[in-house]
Amino acid sequence: MAHRILRDHEADGWERSDFPIICESCLGDNPYVRMTKADYDKECKICTRPFTVFRWRPGRNARYKKTEICQTCCKLKNVCQVCLLDLEYGLPVQVRDTALNISTHDSIPKSDVNREYFAEEHDRKTRAGLDYESSFGKMRPNDTILKLQRTTPYYKRNQAHVCSFYIRGECTRGAECPYRHEMPETGELSQQNIKDRYYGVNDPVAMKLLGKAGEMGTLESPEDESIKTLYIGGLNSRILEQDIRDQFYAYGEVESIRILAEKACAFVTYTTREGAEKAAQELSNRLVVNGQRLKLTWGRPQAPRPDQDGSNQQGSVAHSGLLPRAVISQQHNQPPPMQYYMHPPPPNQDKPYYPSMDPQRMGAVISTQEAGGSSTSENSGASSSSYMMPPPQPYPPPPYGYMPSPYQQQYPPNHHHPGPMHHYGPPPAAYQYPQQPGPGSRPPPPASVVSAPTPDSAPTGSGAPSVSSQEPPAQ
Amino acid sequence: MPKVKTNRVKYPEGWELIEPTLRELDAKMREAETDSHDGKRKCETLWPIFKVSHQRSRYVYDLYYRREEISKELYEFCLDQGYADRSLIAKWKKSGYERLCCLRCIQPRDHNYGTTCVCRVPKHLREEKVVECVHCGCQGCASGD
Repeated sequence: MAHRILRDHEADGWERSDFPIICESCLGDNPYVRMTKADYDKECKICTRPFTVFRWRPGRNARYKKTEICQTCCKLKNVCQVCLLDLEYGLPVQVRDTALNISTHDSIPKSDVNREYFAEEHDRKTRAGLDYESSFGKMRPNDTILKLQRTTPYYKRNQAHVCSFYIRGECTRGAECPYRHEMPETGELSQQNIKDRYYGVNDPVAMKLLGKAGEMGTLESPEDESIKTLYIGGLNSRILEQDIRDQFYAYGEVESIRILAEKACAFVTYTTREGAEKAAQELSNRLVVNGQRLKLTWGRPQAPRPDQDGSNQQGSVAHSGLLPRAVISQQHNQPPPMQYYMHPPPPNQDKPYYPSMDPQRMGAVISTQEAGGSSTSENSGASSSSYMMPPPQPYPPPPYGYMPSPYQQQYPPNHHHPGPMHHYGPPPAAYQYPQQPGPGSRPPPPASVVSAPTPDSAPTGSGAPSVSSQEPPAQ
Repeated sequence: MPKVKTNRVKYPEGWELIEPTLRELDAKMREAETDSHDGKRKCETLWPIFKVSHQRSRYVYDLYYRREEISKELYEFCLDQGYADRSLIAKWKKSGYERLCCLRCIQPRDHNYGTTCVCRVPKHLREEKVVECVHCGCQGCASGD
């Protein structure tokens, strides 16, 4: 690299700035942040020009972070100066570029003098106020990218790095060691290169994300050929039947449209199966009515209601029973399941009461509650089942008779099993209701999970039979 | 810092009583200076120096101000000869700094944001309970704890 002696800031193209361009996650959760600013402190990791380094601590349990690339480089790709993820979506450059089909890729030279020249030119133009062809402001969001984007800040990346002495077993600092005493993650994702990530080439995280995106895009048709109904979720009062009709008429003859205002959903039934399939295919990730983005899945035929004591969920989903179970549970999870101060009081019992509607349950895995929460697990042994108010019976068992309850027993209360893909709801560990799909309306996620607990359920084998014996005859 | 008894230095009376301890401490300092750096962090190698220096100054300070066993003359002699750090002792006389570890830890210019070292923060106000300050390895020199 050229040996840099500061002669003249402007001429040499060294960069100065007043505030870093960073994303929310990197800035941290603390509204009070103390930041140091050091002019020309380090060279940019991409273009190797000296630039102003900002250094701060993004929260109490975070390490100190500093800007890694200069603002010129960051603006060229519209990424955060620290984490190099897109500012708007929080996605790696490669993912964003593929999803939006833009390519800034070729225009940026990558080697040596070329690169430095380009960066300096760009910087000079910016400072002179000339309008350069930055298209980032004009990008229209795509459904894929809206699905992929990160909506909440992710503070785990601000954790301290892993103690390399600990890995070898040699950390003598003990309690005061500021680094994490954990084993590092291995695997493809741990070999990342900042230049690859920036240019959007060969980025393992991006590939993984794109792989996932490819899979989740398709909405599979249900196996049951007689289903011609689509479920639409996320409705609000402004959406009229006519609006829905306008969206759906193009794909086939619409037999009926039923809106359920209190559940914020609607069901569209076609006369032909093909029409339904076509609509599903076309609209599955793109349904926007009156500016409102709606969720679209296949409907499920109503299961024959088993006789159960306690409140009957299935029956009380009286509208049409075409609601996939997974979706019912999802709906009730829409209100963010966080332990805030103002919980709505538990609904009175004349409305259907799902376990998932109890805000205390949401994600809060307390041992008594959790054990009690596995309501059908009489095998919970702990008397906590008596402690809980008679828990409403869950849905009838899914087709393959998998109950998550014995599975939950195996793990300490706070363990959130990573489990299958959680596109459709919160992790299964905390909840009683099965996350089971309607017949075939989802790729069979619990299949992998089913196999996992079977060795585990052997010890609780006594429990499992008792569970199944309690259950009403399967549908 | 005279380690050898020369003829030029006139030792005041009372010196014989404190001399052995002071020589011991000097030896300790010599040891700290010549220790190898293996297995230690770069900053950690300096910690024993600060520690012994504190200890030495503390001894002289205690003798004069607390136990009052030496005369002012002898005390001044120790300070002049370099057996104790005058400026550190000056800090110890102030309230709130009675247990100060070293002078670097209270120097705002040496720290980001113009603060003092973390070892100056009382333990009940800190978030991390176990700290070793990077300058002198101090684990907490606030007067409270």
